[in-house]
Amino acid sequence: MKRSKTMEFGVGLFMIAGILGVIFLGLRVSGLTLSAPTQSFQLEANFANIGGLKPRARVTMAGVTVGRVEAIELDTQWYDAKVVLSLDSELEGQLSRDSIASILTAGLLGEQYIGLSVGGDPEMLQNGDTIRDTQSALVLEELIQQFVSNMASN
Amino acid sequence: MQSKFSSGTARITRLGRRGCDLMEALGRAGVFLAQSAIGIPSREGWRLWLQQMHFVGVLSLAIVLVSGLFIGMVLALQGYTILVDFGAEQALGQMVALSLLRELAPVVAALLFAGRAGSALTAEIGLMKATEQLTSMEMIGVDPLRRVVAPRLWAGFVALPILTVGFSVVGIWGGYLVGVEWLGVFEGSYWSNMQANVAFINDVGNGMIKSLVFAVVVTWIAVFQGYDLVPTSEGISRATTRTVVYSSLAVLGLDFVLTAVMFGGL
Amino acid sequence: MTDTPFIEIEDLYFSRGELEIFRGVNMTIPRGKVTAIMGPSGTGKTTLLKLIGGQLTPESGRVLIDGQDVHRLSRKALFTLRKRMGMLFQSGALFSDLDVFENVAFPLRVHTDLPDTMVRDLVLLKLQAVGLRGARELTPAELSGGMARRVALARAMALDPELILYDEPFVGQDPISMGVLVQLIKRLNQALQLTSVVVSHDIKETLSIADYLYLIADGQVVAHGTPQTLDINQDPRVSQFIHGEPDGPVPFHYPAEAFYRDILGEARVPASG
Repeated sequence: MKRSKTMEFGVGLFMIAGILGVIFLGLRVSGLTLSAPTQSFQLEANFANIGGLKPRARVTMAGVTVGRVEAIELDTQWYDAKVVLSLDSELEGQLSRDSIASILTAGLLGEQYIGLSVGGDPEMLQNGDTIRDTQSALVLEELIQQFVSNMASN
Repeated sequence: MQSKFSSGTARITRLGRRGCDLMEALGRAGVFLAQSAIGIPSREGWRLWLQQMHFVGVLSLAIVLVSGLFIGMVLALQGYTILVDFGAEQALGQMVALSLLRELAPVVAALLFAGRAGSALTAEIGLMKATEQLTSMEMIGVDPLRRVVAPRLWAGFVALPILTVGFSVVGIWGGYLVGVEWLGVFEGSYWSNMQANVAFINDVGNGMIKSLVFAVVVTWIAVFQGYDLVPTSEGISRATTRTVVYSSLAVLGLDFVLTAVMFGGL
Repeated sequence: MTDTPFIEIEDLYFSRGELEIFRGVNMTIPRGKVTAIMGPSGTGKTTLLKLIGGQLTPESGRVLIDGQDVHRLSRKALFTLRKRMGMLFQSGALFSDLDVFENVAFPLRVHTDLPDTMVRDLVLLKLQAVGLRGARELTPAELSGGMARRVALARAMALDPELILYDEPFVGQDPISMGVLVQLIKRLNQALQLTSVVVSHDIKETLSIADYLYLIADGQVVAHGTPQTLDINQDPRVSQFIHGEPDGPVPFHYPAEAFYRDILGEARVPASG
């Protein structure tokens, strides 16, 4: 009986280790947070070209991550890209109506993300509003094309 | 002409017989799985399951963890030499974690499990069969499928996913040791890059699903080979080999299918 | 025979692959007696026991135990019937992961809800009967062949069955443990009014305990009777077996070409294998 007790204890430890392992994979590796999903509000922004922007990409303000891209879809009315952003709720009512959303690239080949910069309008954006002022992604090929044609015309 | 023709038909007949044998074995294996895995465990069943968890799970822990550590370290080392050329060594954490979670941990843990626990299961059940223990259990009026096979099957189903988690955790830590402590990748970017790019459901979850599928397949093969073998010493040694060969092939083949379904956009 | 039969075997056919093992076997095994089934090696005596125990299914014919057709029973009813049988295997077949005590306690634990103290008493009683009460803490690996068989006998008796099947109980035993086993089987049968079926080819020992004998060869019963009647049976097949003559109807030589032709190389070249 004594031997089976230590064995049961071993199996118990084994299973606890498994559960702890899953928790580690969740918190430390996939970056889930234990606190309930942070309160957020949503804004929309239309871009003429989103380049390589992906869902789950970061949304930053002055380099600080303040939210992420929730969804990207084609707006069939204007034939441009409608991007839904999910932002920290503490920013709700703090962003002026003329804020600018631009698609930026981390480094030359890095991933693309959205940068927000605030304007000076006294009216503030509320949940579900649309950011009017947007800057599309820089597409490297287009830049090069422009550069080459400029060279040629000179 | 006549003999050529008949040798041709004989060959086709042989092929047909092989096919029939194969289908029959698969059928037997399916019935076997259904009969033993289904049923409500009694109190005694829990005790037997716990015992098998010890043999199958706890005793395989050492080899799985040590392998995980080394694989994580090697991944970090190899990944670093490639990533550093692109100036992207901050992505090391992401690379180590994703390779482990999606592929290496489920597959390598399953292969190690087949070698360590699977072959032992086959040999143990085979020995019980060869020494008439299974027959005598049946004559006592106890179903060996429920008493001997079921606890082992369920222990395997539960133990391998846990071992796979252990493999991943230790591997990521091994990658951290090499990448951060030795090669000097910035610690913050090792973890933050990992957290930014690993999705719990997609990466950890799919890895666990893979590992569960492998657990069912490997344990099933191992236990069935033990139960179905020719009860001689030669039969046992052959069945043990078959367990390792079949389950390794099944794991690698299924891994391709699962990867295609999960990550291949099918 | 005035006794009611306990087991009836009617016109049993069984084959393994191409090999016909039984071709119409008929037997009647009386209640409360020791019946021996004898025959040369390889005649399928163990197979017959497995057919009686319901582990193998015959091609045709039936086996009735106490009026129940073994091979028509549902799995559950078969397992219930088996609680009334004990079987002693050639190797003992003790569970290698349990010690001697737990081996004997096994049938009690799975089939009864007796409290631990009563299980203990019963197990010690059975072990006392086979003289191994002192060995209760040993593991099967630590037992000699004869001791393992005695423990297996105690286990087979644990549920006080009505029928015990003995598969080659004397094979590979030294004279002392052979004597012990003969004594045990005899005593148990008298004390508990069991029906015993002994499969064996050890003539002397079997004759000394059997009340009735069946001799099988070539898939059929060639003779049956009490030990006395078989001893004076004139059938050459019977007397060859009972008296252990090396040559007779069961030939000494495996079927082969004529010796001279073989040795002088005139026989056809054997087909390459």
